[in-house]
Amino acid sequence: MRSEEEVNRAVEQYADTVRRLCMIHLKNYADTEDIFQNVFLKYALSSVSFESQEHERAWLIRVTVNACRDLLKSFFRSRTVSIDEIMEQPAAPPSENREVLEAVLSLPAKYKDVVYLHYYEGYTAPEIGRILGKNVNTVYSLLKRSREMLREKLGGDEYEG
Amino acid sequence: MKDKLKKTFDSIRAEEELKASTLEFVSRKTGGYRKRKTVPYRRLVPALACLLMLFLGFGGYHVYFTPTSIISIDINPSLELGINALDRVVSVEGYNEDGEELAASLNVNHMNYTEAVEEILSNDIIAEYLSQDQILSIAVAGSDEGKTEKILSQVRACTEGEKNTHCYEASHEEIASAHEAGLSCGKYRAYLELKQYDPDITTEEVQGMTMKEIRDRIASLAGTEEAGESTSYRGEDSAQQKHGHGGQEHSGEGERHGHGYRQESE
Repeated sequence: MRSEEEVNRAVEQYADTVRRLCMIHLKNYADTEDIFQNVFLKYALSSVSFESQEHERAWLIRVTVNACRDLLKSFFRSRTVSIDEIMEQPAAPPSENREVLEAVLSLPAKYKDVVYLHYYEGYTAPEIGRILGKNVNTVYSLLKRSREMLREKLGGDEYEG
Repeated sequence: MKDKLKKTFDSIRAEEELKASTLEFVSRKTGGYRKRKTVPYRRLVPALACLLMLFLGFGGYHVYFTPTSIISIDINPSLELGINALDRVVSVEGYNEDGEELAASLNVNHMNYTEAVEEILSNDIIAEYLSQDQILSIAVAGSDEGKTEKILSQVRACTEGEKNTHCYEASHEEIASAHEAGLSCGKYRAYLELKQYDPDITTEEVQGMTMKEIRDRIASLAGTEEAGESTSYRGEDSAQQKHGHGGQEHSGEGERHGHGYRQESE
């Protein structure tokens, strides 16, 4: 088990990352809260020793993604909420980003992780493959397809990745 | 696209409130970051409970089905009942053809041994032998002497109504060597006795003889050797027991044995 200081630091450091991943997958604040609690409790109780900050970050991302998946699986997609409701979340971004976020959120679930990890966190395809437990080539094609879909949704080639 | 995505995601931040509630939750769940040692132990508890159940199961099975005492019943059919620590009959074994037949026809498993002995005594085959004035011998053996004595007295009480029965104690070694010879305990003892007078006798022969036949044979052989010997056999328990332990020391055993007879006949 980790000390209180460690957990405090981890929450400070990674809360935004976890929040964004929740944002991608979940549709309401209560679920997000659940995930936060699960993820950081797991972090507090785990005895994994991290080699580096990067390792720690990757561990947390993986735990979060898995937790989101488990949650969605348990709900069995019975809870579908329209996109407007998502926008009413407390963390709803300013309107100029709304279009982009909407585009990302409208992607199928398996693309969203990849898009976020690649474009925001800056992970390379092999790294994403390791984190998500996917084949590298699968990640490449997921990235390629999501890029196409985003381009189609947002229009124009100004979004050249 | 990269910049725009980055900007979008940048605008998403974890609320302070969310962070605080998470920290509070973690702190509560971990009991103020103190409970470290209990976790591995707690995981072991169900596993240990399962193991315990398993051991209890096997142990119970073992205790129940291990005979601690043996009651050997001989007329012509030789029969042995294995009695477990809880006074229940857990095995019935016939030591000759008649005995096997009888064992197959009996249903005394899991009965209390007194009931079982009563049941056997009231069995038609046994009753027939008894009515033909045959001798019924019952030997009780066990590792625990107190227990053996208790069983013996119980069995004696059961057989009180019958004449021509005699009950005695036997030792464990005796039973082991009896089984080796393929005889039940009571018959083995009679066989040893007979062997003193007739060294040519074999276990196979004895197996087919009734107890009365053996007794009569012993009596007649003893009678020829020791004049004035009574032909009727009424073995006294103590004499029997001493004798039972004895090996093949012919003269010494014979003398002691003879003594027993004399006491009886006088």
